[in-house]
Amino acid sequence: MALTIIKNIIRIAFLILLQILVVNRMQAFDGLVLPMVYIFGVLMLPFETPRWLVLVIGFVVGWVMDLFSGPPGLHTSATLFLAFLQPVIQKIFSPREGYEVTQRPTVQSMGLPWYLTYAGILTFAHHFWLFFMEVFRFSDFFYQMLHIIASTVATLLLMTIGQYLIYTSKNSN
Amino acid sequence: MRNLIGLIQRFYVFLLFLVLQIFALYVLFNSNNYHKAEFVQHSKDWTGSIYSFRTQLKEYWILDEINDRLSLENAILRSQLPENVLTIDTVTRFLPDSVNPQRYMYKNAHVENVTINRESNYVMIDKGSSSGVEREMGVIANGSIVGVVTSVSNHFSVVMPILNNNFVASVRMKDSRDFGLLAWQGGDPDKAIIKDLPKHVKVSVGDTVVTSGSGYYPGELFVGIVDSMDDRPEENFHRIVIRLATDYRKLDYVQVVKDLFKEEKEALIQAEENGADNN
Repeated sequence: MALTIIKNIIRIAFLILLQILVVNRMQAFDGLVLPMVYIFGVLMLPFETPRWLVLVIGFVVGWVMDLFSGPPGLHTSATLFLAFLQPVIQKIFSPREGYEVTQRPTVQSMGLPWYLTYAGILTFAHHFWLFFMEVFRFSDFFYQMLHIIASTVATLLLMTIGQYLIYTSKNSN
Repeated sequence: MRNLIGLIQRFYVFLLFLVLQIFALYVLFNSNNYHKAEFVQHSKDWTGSIYSFRTQLKEYWILDEINDRLSLENAILRSQLPENVLTIDTVTRFLPDSVNPQRYMYKNAHVENVTINRESNYVMIDKGSSSGVEREMGVIANGSIVGVVTSVSNHFSVVMPILNNNFVASVRMKDSRDFGLLAWQGGDPDKAIIKDLPKHVKVSVGDTVVTSGSGYYPGELFVGIVDSMDDRPEENFHRIVIRLATDYRKLDYVQVVKDLFKEEKEALIQAEENGADNN
């Protein structure tokens, strides 16, 4: 239990640093592709995490991101939205008998199709909220949608590749 | 009462979400655009030191390029030394200060972090209030404008660059001397637009745009050159896109401009406004 908490804290801190020090500096296609890998820390929270705790963690992660970049409240708002949706999506896509204690929301534990659906929906929701809140107008709708979809794909790709690199199927927590 | 408690127990997650979300959105939409960075002022010292660490690492790899640019600048400055200029009228060089008082002072600063892919970008520099940097000071680099200081902590400042939806500065066409407004429309970090330049002014691609001298920057600073024009017959103003002289991707050293007469100017405007109120 304590180990899980420490692991999650370290993971979240590492991902925020990765986001602000490395990923935010990437300039792919004139800023069209802007992956947000820091949400991986929220997506990796264990299934049994209480919903209020997911919300609080989402709030704190977003707040720290706001301290480093962007107008205040922007990442907080988007990450909160993600944290609110996450348990809902987990419930919709749960196996018939519910999740087992040993299962984690990873590719190795749940399989690639499940993971892509789960992370894909949540990442898209987060990016949609984030990028539209940032611009707050619907004038360049198609460019914005392209921006969101391209960034979602990039984030998903990075998160999935990251899991294959870090976790082996035997050691999947 | 019991019903109410039951209701709260059932929906407490949603209520918590709602409360936190309303708070986040309140902060987001109440942060005045111009002083958006103010909010994070207290934390900028520690976020700044993390960015400093990265910049130090990065700088190590581009030392070559920095050296080249510095030696070039040295060469240009050296050629302007009085020893290298043939002056016949030596008296002009020794004019007393009371006749030619200094107008602007420059402070060197180092760029810690730049964003260019947002709608509201910012530049963070490593000089703050302890070095005398204040809000609303202009920032320039290599003889062209970078932006204006919007918030200051002890050791760092946040600069609103041209690449920001809220940025606006007064500029003029170098040849025709006509005023326009410099702004940014998002997207390409190399391009900006000139607004409010009436159609009767002749502008062609390749024309030079310089600062007007009003506002936060000294006059005649190189801003950019006209890149393309997209005039519409139904409008009275040009639609001009310029290529910016400042390359935000390669920004490293900047100068903060202190207008020594700023207080005098503001006092005059204040007096003028008060006078208008009395009438």
